[in-house]
Amino acid sequence: MIDFLTMLINGLSLGGVYALIALGYTMVYGIAKMLNFAHGDIIMVGGYAIVVFFNLTGMPVVSILAAVAICIALGIAIEKVAYKPLRQASPLAVLITAIGVSYLLQSFAQMFFGAGGQTIVIENLGSLTIGELKIKWATMITLIVAVAIMVSLTIFINKSKVGKAMLAVSEDKEAAQLMGINVNTIITITFAIGSALAAVAGACYIMKTPNVSPTLGSLPGIKAFTAAVIGGIGSIPGAMLGGILLGMIEIICNSVPALSGYTVAIEFGLLILILLVRPTGILGKQKREKV
Amino acid sequence: MKKSLSLVSAALAATLTLAGAVSCGANNDAGSNDAFRIGVSGPLTGGAAIYGTAVQHSVELAVNEINAAGGLDGVKFEFKMLDDEHKADKIAANYAELKKWGMQLSLGTVTSTPCLEFKNYAQMDGLFFLTPSATNDGVPDGYDGAYQMCFKDSKQGNLSADYIKQNCADKKVGVLYNSEDTYSKELFDNFKSEFDDYNFVTTSFLDSTTDFASQIETLKDCDFIYMPTYYTPAATFMLQANGKMSDGTIYFGCDGFDGIDTYLGDNLNAFPQEISMLSHFNSASEDEAVVHYVEAYTAAYGKYDLNQFGASAYDCVYALFNALKKAKADGKNVTPSLSAKEISDIFKEVFKSADFTFNGITGKNVTWEANGEVNKHPTKYVVKAARE
Amino acid sequence: MGYLRDFKSQFKLKNFINYIVIALLTALFGTLSCVGVLEMSTQVLFEKFAYTLIMAVSLSLVVGFLGELSLGHAAFMSIGAYLGGYFQTYVIGDLNGNMPLLGIIIAMIVGGLAAGVFGFIIGLPALKLKGDYLAIVTLAFGEIVKTVFTNSETFGAATGLKTYRYSMDTLFIIGFVALLVILAVIQNLIKSRYGREITAVRDNEIAAKSMGVNVTRIKIFVFTLSAVFAGVAGAIFSNSQFNFKSSTFDYNYSIDLLVMVVLGGMGSLNGSMIAAIVITVLKTELTFILPGNLAALQNVAFALILILVVVFNNSPKFKPIREKAFGWARGLTEKLWSKIPHKNGDKGESDKGDHADWTEIPSKIKMDALLSTDMLPPDIVGAPEKTDKGEKQ
Repeated sequence: MIDFLTMLINGLSLGGVYALIALGYTMVYGIAKMLNFAHGDIIMVGGYAIVVFFNLTGMPVVSILAAVAICIALGIAIEKVAYKPLRQASPLAVLITAIGVSYLLQSFAQMFFGAGGQTIVIENLGSLTIGELKIKWATMITLIVAVAIMVSLTIFINKSKVGKAMLAVSEDKEAAQLMGINVNTIITITFAIGSALAAVAGACYIMKTPNVSPTLGSLPGIKAFTAAVIGGIGSIPGAMLGGILLGMIEIICNSVPALSGYTVAIEFGLLILILLVRPTGILGKQKREKV
Repeated sequence: MKKSLSLVSAALAATLTLAGAVSCGANNDAGSNDAFRIGVSGPLTGGAAIYGTAVQHSVELAVNEINAAGGLDGVKFEFKMLDDEHKADKIAANYAELKKWGMQLSLGTVTSTPCLEFKNYAQMDGLFFLTPSATNDGVPDGYDGAYQMCFKDSKQGNLSADYIKQNCADKKVGVLYNSEDTYSKELFDNFKSEFDDYNFVTTSFLDSTTDFASQIETLKDCDFIYMPTYYTPAATFMLQANGKMSDGTIYFGCDGFDGIDTYLGDNLNAFPQEISMLSHFNSASEDEAVVHYVEAYTAAYGKYDLNQFGASAYDCVYALFNALKKAKADGKNVTPSLSAKEISDIFKEVFKSADFTFNGITGKNVTWEANGEVNKHPTKYVVKAARE
Repeated sequence: MGYLRDFKSQFKLKNFINYIVIALLTALFGTLSCVGVLEMSTQVLFEKFAYTLIMAVSLSLVVGFLGELSLGHAAFMSIGAYLGGYFQTYVIGDLNGNMPLLGIIIAMIVGGLAAGVFGFIIGLPALKLKGDYLAIVTLAFGEIVKTVFTNSETFGAATGLKTYRYSMDTLFIIGFVALLVILAVIQNLIKSRYGREITAVRDNEIAAKSMGVNVTRIKIFVFTLSAVFAGVAGAIFSNSQFNFKSSTFDYNYSIDLLVMVVLGGMGSLNGSMIAAIVITVLKTELTFILPGNLAALQNVAFALILILVVVFNNSPKFKPIREKAFGWARGLTEKLWSKIPHKNGDKGESDKGDHADWTEIPSKIKMDALLSTDMLPPDIVGAPEKTDKGEKQ
């Protein structure tokens, strides 16, 4: 029983990190309608920013805030240089520049910080003990942060003026423009939020995996993208749910030594099954096509 | 439509021809060399880049040292390393390019899978190579010009099994390996085959694993953990396992572990467990040659990627250099104008001869078997003792 | 036999210029290679071209013509390489030893068929899923295939599969012949009734359905066909290697292929092929130009080139320069073209007769690069700019 509970908690813990990344992904993906392949690399930059500032100041909170600021600036800069000129081009043209940006960020990280990555132990927060059950505080923080971000994003998008504008842009860019919404500004804001979330995700990631390397973001990036789609594109609770589901499956597969080699296959196999049952993701809206 | 079609076709023709022409450059026969040319292929970008970078730096260091000391009776050495991203499908192109450049001496590749590919091309041309770190058993197998400076996988697996049989009778042993990585998988398979009744707690992870929570749960009751894998995932495991494992647990690895101390840096003491390894190089050794290497490396490139990959490559260059020196002393004609094949034949002869021994930083009195396997003493190094 | 009749009535030399160009160059370089003049580096590069070009046109079929995003196309290549290579090396090893040419042909057939079966299976969810959801299925499929091969002892597990290495002198010739066959099939397909059905499904599925197009059949057909081609490419790949590992066919490789197709212009076979050649050469040459300590700059250079090319091609800011450049290039080819004697004497826009009309339907996926000329008459090239609405503020 304890083993099972521990497994669940470990799953939640990994799922929380995926969920955080997926939340950032789904913002950009759901609103700007573009596959931001560089999202994972922004997480990596956030991770390195934390390492640098932590080594300078020794204060975790300050370093995380600095990382958030850096990532927002980076996100906006990338958007301006690589994505904005392509507003009128096909969505897939943006995919190429996104991949270009991803290569660039990874190469710069390798040149400045070395190829193999660095280890960083922010602080041993210890764990919360309930009976025989040990839950790391890092896990609790990740989950709390993820839920808090999910709730505030949902409120922000549905209640605030900017949020509603985002919804309008995601629905129909041209119509939104006709209604007086500045589409470019809205997309830039979306990127800024997405990048800030990436930095937070980076912080939670290195609390869990105390190792920052140039390729840190690529795999979690893909998994989070998958999680966002499984949850339903554009659905914020969906991204959260998708992320947690993915983390759970991964931990459960890893717990059975005979299956651990096939973890990725099982993970993705189950995702295909879910999509076959729910073709627009778990919480995605079924769109009726108008002719 | 027509005009544009012809535009496209013209472009197609132009690109194809150009591409052909680009690679059709002047054929550089080794005959025109005025220095000995050493060629290597290894990962310089991507996830395994740190190992390739260490080799690049160390070969550069060794070549500079040799050249500064006057080379081989005044003849200098040149060296070129191409990036293969740790992928076998890059090898054909890299090999061809190195060949075109005039490679006569070779360290093969840094990692195993690409080296299995490299070996076949080398065999076609009769090129001799001495690999610093491609440990796979298949590398020297079946070709008399493929030599290793490192212990091959089966030997490392068997030696670890012996060590555990002798020292861990009263310990609960656990094993953690990477099922997607050749080095790790081979080491584990050979290790396992040494036991008649293999019943250790065993779990594996993948290249993509970043969260070892499940593996830690599986292994948490063990007090000796054998980890035949590279140091980067191992370090992540150790940091994540902090607080879950008992303080007396020993983490035991093979040569892939080397470099974990410089990699972890200050965080080496973030957890109390002992780390030890069975390897051929230890950067903390007090041996004069090792101290010299570590100092020179650190001065030139910093301590960040100092590891046995580099040390082994450094030795490879010197072994090749010494072999050439010996051949020359034996009265052979050794000049850079020789073809790769001719130089390779010299190497094959020297490395096979009984009186060629080599003293380097990864071993003393090193000799080679006729099949390319290295003969030297593996040592157990304690990277970090358990915290009292 | 309607298909064949279509083919006959449509056979015009100009539709096959790319075909002839490739055939002539293959013959030229093939002869050079057989005589022994061609260097190993060129042979190796051409082998790479052969399977990369097949992959590019095969993916172009799914992404450019059917309009479905595939993020796991490398998986089909992987299946072709593993099963084709395994069959050739271990099942018919003796036969292959005596007659390698027969061996590689069998490998291509086995690899193609095996990949085709999986293409069919992946085509099935395509009926239910749309757009990005389908893309995720292809991505997931790619990862599953990779994992299964990595764990299979039969296929060499983590060390990789050892396969027969075909002679370097002739492999690229076989590869290019396979490319020509595949190109012929695709070019005729897209000019046939089925081709029009495929693009109809891409442009508007509902409209296509209401016009009586069997969307189900079309989608499965395209997925299967393109998987077969990818499987053939895989078999060629396995013949260009002594051993290979499934991690070669990872997600990044699929994305690289996608970059070629998108960069070359969606729905343009020639564009995809040119982009495939340019990217392959660029990547290989960058490795050579930037060895050792400079290696990290490879990706910087590659990334900057990608970004600059795409931004230059699409940004409204560069429109005047772009138009000038394209105008110049078009003028030049026009001049060249007029110097070549023509049978019918027809020039320029009078293409209406040969089934070109349908290509003018503006597609959902906007043709984004200059090279998307296969499907579009010249005056529509660059059409996306006409809808410029941005940059108003």
